This record gives sequence, structure tokens and C-alpha cells, in this order.
Amino acid sequence: MIDVVQNTLDGLAIGSAYGLLALGFTLIFGVMRRLNMAFGSSILVGIFAGAWLHGQWAAGMIPIFAATLAGAVLAAAYVERLSFAWIRGDAALASMASSFALWMQLEDGIARAFPQRSYAFPSFDILPLLELGPLLLRPEFIAMFLTAAVLVVALHLMLTRTVFGLQVRTLSESREAARVSGVNVGRVAFLTFCIAAAIGGVAGFLIAATDGQISTKLGLWITMKGLIAMVISGLGSLRGALIGGLVLGLVEAQAQWYLGASGREITVFALLFVALILLPQGLAGRADAAARNEALRRL
Amino acid sequence: MLEIRDIKTSYGKIAALKGVSLDIRDGGLTCLLGPNGAGKTTLIWTIAGILKAQSGSIKMGGDELAGLKAHQIVEKGVVTVPENRLVFPEMTVTDNLIAGAFSRRKEKGGVSEDLEAVLERFPRLRERATQEAGTLSGGEQQMLAVGRALMARPKILLMDEPSTGLAPIIVEEIFEIIGQLRDEGRTIFLVEQNANLALDYADHFYLLEQGQVTFGGDPGEVDHDELIARAYLGARKAS
Amino acid sequence: MDGFTISVLTNIALFSFLAISAWILLIAGEISFGQQAYFAIGAYAAGIATAVWQWPFVAGIAFGTGFGAAVGALVAWPTIRLSGLHFAIATLAFAELVRASLNVFSYQRDIDGYATGPDGANGFRDIRWVYEAGIEPGAYLVIVAGCLAAVIALVALMARGRGMARLRIVGEDPILAAMQGLSVARTKIAAAGLAGGVAGMGGALYAHLATYIEPAQFSVMTGVHALAYGLIGGLGTVLGPILGVLIDIGLLESLRVFSGYRMIVFGGLVALVLILRPRGLLDERNVHRISAWLRR
Ligand SMILES: Nc1ncnc2c1ncn2[C@@H]1O[C@H](COP(=O)(O)OP(=O)(O)OP(=O)(O)O)[C@@H](O)[C@H]1O
Ligand SMILES: [Mg+2]
Repeated sequence: MIDVVQNTLDGLAIGSAYGLLALGFTLIFGVMRRLNMAFGSSILVGIFAGAWLHGQWAAGMIPIFAATLAGAVLAAAYVERLSFAWIRGDAALASMASSFALWMQLEDGIARAFPQRSYAFPSFDILPLLELGPLLLRPEFIAMFLTAAVLVVALHLMLTRTVFGLQVRTLSESREAARVSGVNVGRVAFLTFCIAAAIGGVAGFLIAATDGQISTKLGLWITMKGLIAMVISGLGSLRGALIGGLVLGLVEAQAQWYLGASGREITVFALLFVALILLPQGLAGRADAAARNEALRRL
Repeated sequence: MLEIRDIKTSYGKIAALKGVSLDIRDGGLTCLLGPNGAGKTTLIWTIAGILKAQSGSIKMGGDELAGLKAHQIVEKGVVTVPENRLVFPEMTVTDNLIAGAFSRRKEKGGVSEDLEAVLERFPRLRERATQEAGTLSGGEQQMLAVGRALMARPKILLMDEPSTGLAPIIVEEIFEIIGQLRDEGRTIFLVEQNANLALDYADHFYLLEQGQVTFGGDPGEVDHDELIARAYLGARKAS
Repeated sequence: MDGFTISVLTNIALFSFLAISAWILLIAGEISFGQQAYFAIGAYAAGIATAVWQWPFVAGIAFGTGFGAAVGALVAWPTIRLSGLHFAIATLAFAELVRASLNVFSYQRDIDGYATGPDGANGFRDIRWVYEAGIEPGAYLVIVAGCLAAVIALVALMARGRGMARLRIVGEDPILAAMQGLSVARTKIAAAGLAGGVAGMGGALYAHLATYIEPAQFSVMTGVHALAYGLIGGLGTVLGPILGVLIDIGLLESLRVFSGYRMIVFGGLVALVLILRPRGLLDERNVHRISAWLRR
């Protein structure tokens, strides 16, 4: 019983990092209606920038955090220009393929610049472990959970209370309608991309600091987790993205504990596959999307 | 020919058709008028089997069509000329026309004869036979869509607002074609907002408002102006 | 031909199966991140057939192909009705499920005193039919190229018999395709079966060349590459995905100038090509132009 609770806590913690990744994916997908395959690799650029600073000057947490964000945002800006802004409006597939190509490019570039298998990343181990009776709570897990909660609320406020947020929402409804009502579509899309990358950078920083080391493999890992969490949430809402991440984290933690690593993989992917078939509109999907699916399912 | 009874269709929670009943008579032009958002396209998509009705029946002869899949309905001879999505833009005009004959399982032969007949009917399409359909003008695309529907040898043609977005001269042209098709004895169900023209050609009409049929009759029997006011304004108070 | 050229050409041909497989689904309007699963299924099925059950080579390849096709169609049956991105993730989930399952899948028999057959994460050794038959790499290249030519011929035949047009219209606009009397689901399931078969055949041929296969070889990266090849090479013709493979493996990997920088160059190149030609180099328009020019 204690195990279940402990797994739940661990799952919620890593799940909130997944949720942040899904949030980044959802923002970009919501505004562009296209998949950014290079999302994970821009975050990779960020954390390697952080690790570099750490290795060179043993800098403190705050400069490393700043470097991680800056790296992620810069890489994302590069991807946005090449794979989204400069590709024709009706070519969603091309954007996807192009961002995949840039993923390969960024990842390989990093692998050349950082040839070792893994690099150290500063961890929070200065902080003590929290003990709640028989339960153990790692401080970085609490940090993850709180950060995710704060960021979702902040993002929600930005989208609902600010002019920029309104513009983002019009853009996600219809690009054309946004353009004719005077929204600077290119600029809003670009900024949304950067915000998404910054959120991803925060998630990447927390994940890297929890592990204490990083490798280029993280790029694929981040992309998979974020994508899966976004899809089980139903592609719709920010809250949904967070829920998707938490659910994924929970399932993984329990499966890991009871079934081991290969059992966890099989369980997660089998559940994902079945969930997609049974709940095609996701856990928090929208009704109109459901209706559209319903119509198309009949064909 | 087609008896539609108490059809209800909704999008999620939004009820778009709230019990529609009407008859599409054999060998004539039945016209459906109604303001924007009345549910006209929804009705066509429901008959065509793209959308599923919650309840109600659509009978053709003795056969029930409601519940069949879209391709089965086409095989029964009920063929749609949709609104706004007329052609496969990356394919040539000829390939678009041939796509119309994909449904013909039993009578596979005669496709090239039918193609010839359609090109005969629409000389403008013949001139552009190898052009990509997406590069045609709006009126030409509409003709292509009608031609493609004819390739399926339809028993009933469902046409959704063939005049949208076209210049008046082209609209006249399209309606002449519709008139010809009617005179050849084909059964046509025409959805239109251009009530004036539609009533000139229709044998019978219905008025759809907010998902319900509110009125129907022969064009000769009613005051066109009043009907048109209702069709455009969608206001019940006009009656 | 020297050994290096032969091995590069064989690689190109084998990867082409996977790229064509992903391309077929792209034409039908679906993105699949998971065609590597059918490559793996074909490889394992054919390997088991010839190494464990001691079937002849041709039967083994046919088994791998058929198994790939059957699983492809079977998996498509519940998933094909999902909307675009959901389908893509479902293919990804299925492929990873296959890989994770192969990691624990053991099926071994004693053949000539050796335990033969897949052994979970340790892989599947000694798929030795081709090696034991004394088939040289050059001869094997001819076999692989022959199979690839058969696949290309099949697609060309489908283009003539309007099968390809059905796939294309279902991919372009499913609602309008249904209004032409096509069963969208059935057409797409057929496409998925065909795609699974093509990938399965490639996998079967690969297993017999490599003699050793392991689950890690069939990762998501492999599948995403296969998908990208079609998008770069072009959606207009079946030669598009092959062109994509040629550019990547043929040009960049084998030219020593780029050694070590292949992915960096390839990535930039692809991004530039797609800005100029969003549907790839051999897109519908270019194919149109080229065939008109050839007809003159
Ligand atoms: N995909 C959808 N999801 C939700 N509601 C929809 C959808 N499509 C249509 N509706 C609603 O259903 C109602 C009927 O729409 P429909 O398109 O059938 O009208 P229409 O009579 O064809 O209008 P128009 O003359 O503008 O073509 C409208 O209120 C519309 O808002
Ligand atoms: Mg309409």
C-alpha cells in the first residue's frame, strides 16, 4: 500500500514535467495546427548550454537556468523560421518533415560539440530529502509539481486576460480570421513558439537537474513524452495537457514498480494504443472535435 | 422517390435538424430554401450518409437509406454535388471526372462513353481536360462537380448551393444546366439561397428554418416575394 | 563493383522498402511514425521461418511479407478512423509496443546443436540461410533490387488501374471521396495492408543479409527517417521516396567529404528543399511536367 502511494507521488512529480512538455507541444500545435518535431531538440540545446556553463565555470543554478532557457528559445526561434514561418500556409506535412530534419541537425550538432556519452548537470542535492512518515519526497519533485502548477495558471491568465493572449486564441481558431482582424500573425506565432520553448526549457532544466546528468538521448525521450501526454489529453486545452502528463507519469511509475523496465514500456504503449482507440478525443477533448470525428468515422 | 421522415441530426449537443420531413419526387426538381445556418447542408450530408441521423428514416422505393454508409448510398444512385469542396484540386479535370465513376461496380463499362457525353455537355471542360482542377475558375469547378456527379449515373442528384460565390452570368449558366437536367427527366434535389431563380425552375419547394421545415408547396401557388423574404431573413414574423 | 558500393546500394534498396511503405500511407492521407514495426515483423517472421522452421528462402520472404501485410491491415482496422495526429501517435504506440514486446519475446529451438531463434533483448542470431547457400553480396543485391522492382511495378500497375487514384482522392479529401462512392475506411485499410507488406518484405530481406537482428534496430528514429524520405523525395511518384533514400544514404553517407557531418548537412538541405517545394522534389506538378516531357 505504501508502495502505491510512494509510486503515486513519484509519478505525479515526473508527470508534472511531462505535463510541461505537453503544454509546450499543445501551445505550438494549437496555434500552428502542425507538429513541431524539433521541440525536444530545442530543449536539448538548452540543457546542453546549461551543462556547458556548469562544466566551464561551475556557475550557480540561476545562470545555468538562464542559459538553458536562452538555448532552448534560440533553437526554437531557428526552427520556427525555417520550418514554419517560411513554409507555405497549406503545407502542414512539409513543416513536420522540415522540423524533423532540423531535429536531426540540432541533435547531431550537439553530439559533435559534446562527444562524451553524458555530461554532468547540477542537481538540487543541497536540499534535504523530505520524510513524511514512511514516504520519501525528493525536493526537486516538489519543485516540479509547483512549477507546473504555477506555469499553467500563469499561462491561463496570459491567454484569457491579455491582448496578446486574445491574439493567440484568435490565431488558434482561424489563421485567416486572425489576419483579417488585424493580428500580426507572424509575430504572434513566433512569440508563441518562444514561450512554448521557454516552458519546455523549464521542464528540461528540472528533468536534467533531477537526473544530475544528461545525454543526447534526451531529445527523443522528451519528444516522445511530450507528444504522448499531449495526445492522451486530447489536443485541446492547457489543463488537459497537464492532466495528460500526470496520467502518463502515474501509469509509468506504477508499471515500473510492479513490472520492471520492459514491462513498463509494454504497458505504457499498449495503454496508449488502446486509449487512442477507445477515447479518440482524448481525456479532455472538446465536443465539437468529437462530433467531427463521429462524422468522419462513418466514412 | 425519396421519402424523408422526421430526421434529427446534431453536432455534439447542437441540434441542427429537429425532425425534418419532406419528399423528393421522381423526375422533378425539388428545391429547399432557407436562410444561413438553417441546416440545409446538414440535411444533404445526412442524406448522403456523411453525417448520421439520431433518428428518422430516409426511404428510397422500399429501401431504407438512413444508417447506410456514404459509399453505399452512392451505390444506390444518390449522388451529391457538395458546397465549397467541389473538386480534387491536384488532379486533372479528366481524372476528377473518372473519379465520379468509381462507384460503378456492376456496370463498369461505358465509362469512356459517359466521359465523352459529359465533355460534350460541358465544352469548357474539354478545353481544360488535362489541366489541374484546382486551377479552374469557380464556375468551371462547379461544372466539373456536376459533370463528375453525372459520371456516377445518378438516380437522384443532391446539389448544395451551386450558385454560391459565382457571378450572375455564370449563375444563369449553371441554372440553365440544371434546367436541362430536369427536362431530361432526372430527379434533382436543389438547395439554394437564390430563391428567385430557384423558384423559376422548381416543381416543388420546401422552406427550412432553424432545423425545421416550416412551409412547402408549388411555386405557382405562393407569393414569391413573401417566400423570398422568409428565405432570406429567416424570420417567422414575415408570414 | 567493390564491396563498399554493393553494401551502400543494398542499404539504399532495403531502406527504400521502408520509405515506400510510409509513402503509401502518406498518399492515403495518413502519417505513420511506425512502419519500422512491419519491417521488424517481416524480419522476425522470415527469420523464424528459415532459421527455426528451416523453410526455404522464398517461402520465408513470402511469409514475412504476408505477415507484415496482415498485421498492417489488422492494426489499421481499429485505428484508421482516428483523425490525423491521433492515427500518427497510434502507429507510434504500436511500433514501440512491438519493439518492447520483442525485447521479451523468446522462441528458440535446437538446430544442429545450437539454440536458434529470437531471444528477447539479446536479439536473434544466425539467420544463415543466405550465408549457407553461398550467395555472394553482389548476387544478394540483385535479389533485393529485383524485389524492389517488383514493388515499384505493382505500384505502377495500380496507377494504371486507378487504384492509386483511389488512394490519392481518399487522402486529399475523404468526405468528397466518400461522395464518389468510395469506402474511405476500406481503402485506407487496404493501403495499410499494402504498406505493411512492403515493409515486411524489406525486413525479411534485411534479416537474411544481416543474419543478426535485435529489437533496438527498429526504433522510432528508423521510422521517422522512412517518413521523411517520402516527404523530401516527393509525393508525386513512387520514385520520390527512393530519391529521398538516395540523397541521404547514397549521397551524403557515402561521400566522404561529409563524413561525420551527414545529418547536419542533410537536415539543412531538407529544410531548404521543403521551403521551396513543400510536397518534395518529385511532387505532383513536377511529375506531371516530366511525364509530359517524356511523352514528347
Ligand atoms: N461541424 C459543425 N459543428 C457544430 N455545429 C455545426 C457544424 N456544422 C454546422 N453546424 C451548425 O449547424 C447549423 C446548420 O448548419 P448548415 O451548414 O447545415 O446550414 P446551411 O443551411 O447549410 O447554411 P448556409 O446557407 O450558410 O450554407 C448551424 O447552426 C451551424 O452553426
Ligand atoms: Mg450550407
